[in-house]
Amino acid sequence: MLARPFAALAALVSRIRVWASPRAVDQEFENEMESHLELLTEENVQRGMGREEAQRAARLKLGGVTQLKQTNHELQGLPFLETFLQDVRFALRMLRKNPGFTAVAVLTLALGIGANTAIFSVVYAVVLKPLPYARAEQLVHVFAANAQEGIAGTGISYANFADLRAQNHIFTEMAASQFHQLTLTGHGEPAIVDVFVVTAEFFSLFEQKPLAGRAFLPDDGKPGAPPVAVLSENLWRVSFGADAKIIGSSIVLDKRAFTVVGIMPAGFRYPALTANAPLWIPLAQDPLFGSWLPRRGGHWMRVTARLKPGISQVQVQAELAALSARLATEFPAENSGWTIHTLPLLQMIAGNVKPSLLVLLGAVGLVLLIACANIANLLLTRATSRAREMAVRSALGAGRSRIIRQLLSETAVLGLLGGLMGIALAYWGVQSLSSMLPADLPRANEIRVDHFVLGFALLLSILASCGFGLAPALFAADSNVQSSLREGGRSGESGKQRRTRGFLAAGEIALAMVLLVAAGLLLRSFANLVSMSPGFDPAHIVKADISLPQFQYSTPRQWAAFSSELLEHIQAEPGMRDSAFVVPVPIGQGKINLGFEIVGSPPLSAGSSRLADYVSVSPDYFRVMGIRLLAGREFNGHDIMPSPRVTVISEALARRYFPNQDPLGQRLIFGFPLDSAGAREIVGIVADVRDMDLGQAPEPMMYVPFAQGPFWGGALVVKSSLSASSIAATVRADVRKIDRDLPVTDVTTMSELLHASVEQPRFRTFLLGTFAAMALVLAAVGIFGVISYSVSRRTREIGIRVALGSSRPSILRMILRETLTLTLAGLALGVPCALVASRLAKHMLFGISASDPVTFSAVAAGLAVVAALAAYVPARRAMRVDPMIALRHE
Amino acid sequence: MADKSDILQGTLDLMVLKTLEAMGPLHGYGIARRIEQISEDALQINQGTIYASLVRLMQKRWISGAWGTSDNNRKAKFYSITKTGKKQLDTEAENWERISSVIGRVLGIAGRG
Repeated sequence: MLARPFAALAALVSRIRVWASPRAVDQEFENEMESHLELLTEENVQRGMGREEAQRAARLKLGGVTQLKQTNHELQGLPFLETFLQDVRFALRMLRKNPGFTAVAVLTLALGIGANTAIFSVVYAVVLKPLPYARAEQLVHVFAANAQEGIAGTGISYANFADLRAQNHIFTEMAASQFHQLTLTGHGEPAIVDVFVVTAEFFSLFEQKPLAGRAFLPDDGKPGAPPVAVLSENLWRVSFGADAKIIGSSIVLDKRAFTVVGIMPAGFRYPALTANAPLWIPLAQDPLFGSWLPRRGGHWMRVTARLKPGISQVQVQAELAALSARLATEFPAENSGWTIHTLPLLQMIAGNVKPSLLVLLGAVGLVLLIACANIANLLLTRATSRAREMAVRSALGAGRSRIIRQLLSETAVLGLLGGLMGIALAYWGVQSLSSMLPADLPRANEIRVDHFVLGFALLLSILASCGFGLAPALFAADSNVQSSLREGGRSGESGKQRRTRGFLAAGEIALAMVLLVAAGLLLRSFANLVSMSPGFDPAHIVKADISLPQFQYSTPRQWAAFSSELLEHIQAEPGMRDSAFVVPVPIGQGKINLGFEIVGSPPLSAGSSRLADYVSVSPDYFRVMGIRLLAGREFNGHDIMPSPRVTVISEALARRYFPNQDPLGQRLIFGFPLDSAGAREIVGIVADVRDMDLGQAPEPMMYVPFAQGPFWGGALVVKSSLSASSIAATVRADVRKIDRDLPVTDVTTMSELLHASVEQPRFRTFLLGTFAAMALVLAAVGIFGVISYSVSRRTREIGIRVALGSSRPSILRMILRETLTLTLAGLALGVPCALVASRLAKHMLFGISASDPVTFSAVAAGLAVVAALAAYVPARRAMRVDPMIALRHE
Repeated sequence: MADKSDILQGTLDLMVLKTLEAMGPLHGYGIARRIEQISEDALQINQGTIYASLVRLMQKRWISGAWGTSDNNRKAKFYSITKTGKKQLDTEAENWERISSVIGRVLGIAGRG
């Protein structure tokens, strides 16, 4: 039947219309009542009543006009909305009347919500938001692992990739990629560009349409195909001035011409999400990796795949296990011990930072909890002093639910005000966070306060206002009308209420303890980290990168010749005598980890290998970097190609692979570089260097003379008292003297490099420290509030005590004892919580145990002192209570 | 006022609707009077309660109201049943008969048992 829903809708429309103009309706109803009364009166008069009696009888017959009017009003309008708006108006009035309370509550809440929203916007953009690709949830990272050698995840060789792609039944598409930089010339200054070297399926894997032109075709991936390139929109705009005719024309990379076939929109970023203006070239045409294609042993390609729809994780694992087994049987030399696995792409990209971000989110959540506890306490205090108001309301007929509704409206208004201010704070916070974010944070460019984040903030403020508003509202509604009215404003705080206030304050201390312990542990971890010696002396060392184009400088002989010519020029410059060439430079450039054998020692059992980090250096490197020589000699100018091959090893290598014997004179065989096959004699031992980052223990390292193991580029290190900028200018000029098309990039000091390497720990330590400071302040305010309220309520009692002979110090002791009880309860609650929390944050700690007793006791003592200080002000007031005034009080 | 029958909301609405159908346009007082007469004064309602019923019916557009002049030249608001109101009355009346017969049977059985 259609009439019913239509009737309901019609009723609602009518209610809304009436609600818009309530006066007219009330007036009309009054008129109608009047006319009804007159008709009734006339009837009564006709029955023989007197005029007055007839009127009274009529009124009786009709019923109470006021009540009828009220009923009519409720029936015709929108009573729920009306009372709500009334409540909101009233709430705003109450908040305006108590500006101090309102300011404290709104500010506290705004801080909590603002900080949470800002951190959430980071977590959302980095960890939660789907990746910006079509059906991104199907994309997985495919990697190789070797349990026997303890390798958790690494790349896949092209040969293995090609077999996996051909043989699998679980992926709709697979693509592989690698990254390096090439020199772009012919368009102004020579520039280094980020180049992604990809297989031809790369763009179809991501289902990414080009902005213009085309993506790669299968033929582009074949060896010997004409070189082509796809530009990113940014590169096209910045380096080519958005030239519309670029497609089909050629660009010069490492002195080789590539035809531009397409442009990708700026929104597409992969594999590196941070690279701003990259370009893509097919793997087969890459000067560097192109020749590596047939080699099955290298684990150097990053493989990404798209799962077939509806395929289960079990199927994927089974298929990959079968494929791994087949590869190991067919190519045992390269593949035995290796297995292939997948990981959701999002997890691969954000997995590393996820735990730290979640800990930060948890920490900032605790700050909000403390803020809520604080506001709840303030509200409870106010509820107690408003007990009389509530009693009057309920005596006048307000029901329990009506009072709760009104109080909740007040807290909702408070919560929304705090939320709005918090969102403003979050905008500001996200902006200042962005400038502090570690450079290696993935997806950092996507961080912003968007609809989703705003929704989160709004939800948070509603939840928060329910959290801090419910208990006070329930208490207020429960208060005993009779006693409240009788005793005036004095009574009203029940034991339950006092206990709640105490519990809230103790809870704040406990939460503050959790945050302070976490911040303390992180701070000490960070101090431990930066006090680690990197193994070299970074002072006054400037580093500059130089990369040689592959097509022009194609032989190791050319590389070696370039480096020695450059060093000759540089070392001849005044004040730059101490210069050296190295690849890779420690901290920040990655490392080359290689297997090696020891001549005369039995081969190792299958599946285990000797590994060390390989570094190629010019003769003065150890002296320039201040790496101590422990035994033997450094490299010198005679260690060149025709001379006997030599190596210098690190202390860690000597200790691990030559226990109880002298490594000097022993011979090592490296599998790399290819042209230096043959044994190298160990001529020296140097001190360990932390080559990856300060947090990692030094690994075994082996150094070779650059002349005997050259690269197509590397880093120049100059130790000099000259300024970094003048060194950079000199280096640029000297490089240009040799080849005016060579760019010098990433000029920085070693100290800056070290500084940048601890960006992530510094960032999270700073944030957690800030949150802990907020927590401490909030908890102190909370204690101050509870104690001053308790003192003001006990003024009379204190007066009596003083009158009966209590000394003032004993009053002070009494107040401090109350504080101490609260604090101890809080600490007793806080220690186990902090123990659990610090275990969760264990992965961020360095050189300190998660239950470090010094940190725990320092935090506990600190909190006790802060609590005592917060209680001292009200305690002094208690001490000064004049018994005469106190007794007359109230 | 305990003697006044506590009639169900829906029942009153139905009675108002029926009265308007039978009598044509009437003011609130007239409707109340008519219901009392029909029920032979067995149903002594508080006449004001009629108005809640009238508001509900107006909102559902089952009746309409307009100001006019009464027999003895007084201004009063006159209500009349609408087309949807008539349709509704038929369904409601049917429902009512069914329910009341069921209730009658249930009460009859209860009485005998």
